[in-house]
Amino acid sequence: MSEELLRLEHISKRFAGVKALDDVSFNINRGEVRGLVGENGSGKSTMIKIIAGVYEPDEGDIYINGNHYKRLTPIVSIREGIQVIYQDFSLFPNLTVAENIGINRVISKGGRVVNWQEIYEAAKEGLSRVGTDIPLDALAGELSTADRQIIAIARALLEDARLIIMDEPTTALTQREIEYLFKTIKSLKARSISILFVSHKLNEIKEIADRILIFRDGKKVLDQEAKGLDIKTMEYYMTGREIDTSSIAYSEPEETSPLLKVENLTLDPYFSGVSFELKPKEVLGITGLLGSGRTELALSLFGELPAESGKIWLEGKEVSITRIPDAIEKEIGYVPEDRIKEGLFLEQSISNNIIVTIADRIASKIGVISNKTKLKTAEEWVSKLEIKTPSVENPVSSLSGGNQQRVVLAKWLAGNPKILILNGPTVGVDVGSKAAIHELIRDLAKQGMGIILISDDIPELIQTCNRILLMRKGKVVESFRREETSEEELHQHLIAPES
Amino acid sequence: MKKLLNSHEFMMFIILIAVSIVIGLKNPLFFSASTIFDIVRGSLVYCIMGLGVLMVLISGNVDVSFVAIAAMTSYSTHMLLLRLGYTGGMGLYLAIAILFGLLAGLAMAFITTQFDLPIFYVSLGYQTLWYGFNLFFIGRAMNFSLPQGLVGYYSRFLIKVKDPVAGETGLHISVIYLLIIAIFVWWLLKYTTFGRGLYAMGGNREVAIRAGFNVRRITYLMLALNGALAAVAGVIQDAYSRSFNPVLFMGQDLDVIAAVVIGGTAITGGRGSVIGTILGVLLIQILNRGLIFLGVSAEWQRMVVGLVLIIFVSVPAVIERRQKRLKYSPMEKEE
Repeated sequence: MSEELLRLEHISKRFAGVKALDDVSFNINRGEVRGLVGENGSGKSTMIKIIAGVYEPDEGDIYINGNHYKRLTPIVSIREGIQVIYQDFSLFPNLTVAENIGINRVISKGGRVVNWQEIYEAAKEGLSRVGTDIPLDALAGELSTADRQIIAIARALLEDARLIIMDEPTTALTQREIEYLFKTIKSLKARSISILFVSHKLNEIKEIADRILIFRDGKKVLDQEAKGLDIKTMEYYMTGREIDTSSIAYSEPEETSPLLKVENLTLDPYFSGVSFELKPKEVLGITGLLGSGRTELALSLFGELPAESGKIWLEGKEVSITRIPDAIEKEIGYVPEDRIKEGLFLEQSISNNIIVTIADRIASKIGVISNKTKLKTAEEWVSKLEIKTPSVENPVSSLSGGNQQRVVLAKWLAGNPKILILNGPTVGVDVGSKAAIHELIRDLAKQGMGIILISDDIPELIQTCNRILLMRKGKVVESFRREETSEEELHQHLIAPES
Repeated sequence: MKKLLNSHEFMMFIILIAVSIVIGLKNPLFFSASTIFDIVRGSLVYCIMGLGVLMVLISGNVDVSFVAIAAMTSYSTHMLLLRLGYTGGMGLYLAIAILFGLLAGLAMAFITTQFDLPIFYVSLGYQTLWYGFNLFFIGRAMNFSLPQGLVGYYSRFLIKVKDPVAGETGLHISVIYLLIIAIFVWWLLKYTTFGRGLYAMGGNREVAIRAGFNVRRITYLMLALNGALAAVAGVIQDAYSRSFNPVLFMGQDLDVIAAVVIGGTAITGGRGSVIGTILGVLLIQILNRGLIFLGVSAEWQRMVVGLVLIIFVSVPAVIERRQKRLKYSPMEKEE
């Protein structure tokens, strides 16, 4: 039996009467990668915050390195060697790499004066422990997501972390970056640093974790070795029901004239010479690594980054899309990658968010929107997309991630677009919601909509798309028909180095 | 070196020189020692207040009450010392005013941290409160009776020059205060956890808390210093103008904030420097005075300063957007 680092006993936590955690106990050993799985709202985040000392548990005991605590504070938790890498990586975008890595050492020492040489040395040391180098004087806000994660890990290592909690670490990473992260985790493990890997991507958890912990509705429902545990079982424990990911009805679009035709679309330096067709009832996948130009292509079809040259036909008519209102007028909808920043007014009500794109349509002649119409429209979509909320008047910020994503979808679906562009629609969404969103995409296509799905989630592409285009360095390099390809083949081509 | 040339401060400096040369070419009188000293003197109190504003802006907050704190501390100190029959000079004036300023700042920090309110909201009321306090409790009129130690303060110069128009003038002694304060604030911002905490808060407040910065303590210290700097500016301004004014600096809060923003400080927090702030104040002063030298009427001056402010906030925004576009997803990143 290996040595125990952390043990939690009978932890409970309530928020405004709702039990976020209910009598949860588990432990983490030294040098162990512990996977924590759960849907949104299952209590994962609350647990992380309790271990980090941000929340106080209502009941229960915490033992770290043999020390007993009723509650922790952030500083105590850090001194015990616990480091959390939050989804946003907790970086200061306006400060340099060096300061982002080194400043914690200064603070945790309780110093009042900053020694810059010490900061630079600490930063260098931290980066060398991860085994990379990133320019120390670059501003954190200007780096790629993967680099920012590296900085967060480097910073954690500097604090002599004994346990690193990673909250959804792979959400913003591409396939190749995930592989790099896993390599890093394995080298940490070899140095007997423990990892609590929190995610809802089951295949990743299964690959990296030694023991797996599953939460559902604030309770621990499973705690066992990863070996011998299959994804189906994990899904079952996580959602409390069987999820069918294979049987999404598939229908070949009829041989009709294309809904959208794009020829030689170019926007330097993002993409060039892109041509494709989209038929009604078709789901067209566009994949590629970050930087392949897939997002920019989508933004250009939506008028946000207008293309420099090339032609676009909509239902046989040549059109020009140079501004977002052009796209909206032509009934093209876009669901962005970063739903929080680009897709929602978080403090506004769910109903206001849903009707925002169709405000003109439901307004009376003099431009007034009746509250009744607004609520009716909103409630319709809330029930259609099964958004879990007591009232459509609640702010969007009160919803969980998966439900927020549904509000973004509702917002665009309400406008009944002919073409819907979805960019990473299930990023940060749990299995249950994911399956529901895939089903919805198929349903919408069946009703005649043309859908462009941008994603690097290969199972997702295989499950929902008719055709998949692969982009590399701004060009469409390959096209796959779903029935003629496999996950393995797509994966190979996606990460294939330049040939 | 490249970094220096690209910096906002360097750009400010170039613009400052360019503007001065243009004005000087039109009216050579502008290039006189007396004009330069006059500009420095005129900028001084705004620089001192501006450095307080700088810290608040870097932290991602906005305060508009510092002008009222300057008025309250200087006027109250004066009336108090007058009643006590004090005959000395600046020393005690500054000491008492700074004490009042610190207290006013701490009280404000107490309100904002206790009720978790944005500083801006509190400062709106705080400004009116202290002007009202002055007028109601202390006095309604300008007071012209100076203690012996302050008589002639306005003409205490470090360097004296004779000017054909202005007579005997020079570099006023109070520039020393600015130097000390500027170096002190620069050191605070660059070399203390308090200073780095301000940048951290301005970058991302939530993350600053998680990183272990004591945001509460930083807020207290920041507002206390902001109050103290306002107090120093108030005393210097009144002593120099030989009258203590209960509504000193009234209506000038936004001018100071504008100067700090022109100096490259982000109104949203996280970015700003001492040099930039001083250059920002100087630029506005040079414009104001330069326009007089060019014979431009006062109404036009306001417009020009307004336009400069708009240009200065929009140029960095445009540059940033262009850089972001390029960085959107550079393809070479993939390899």
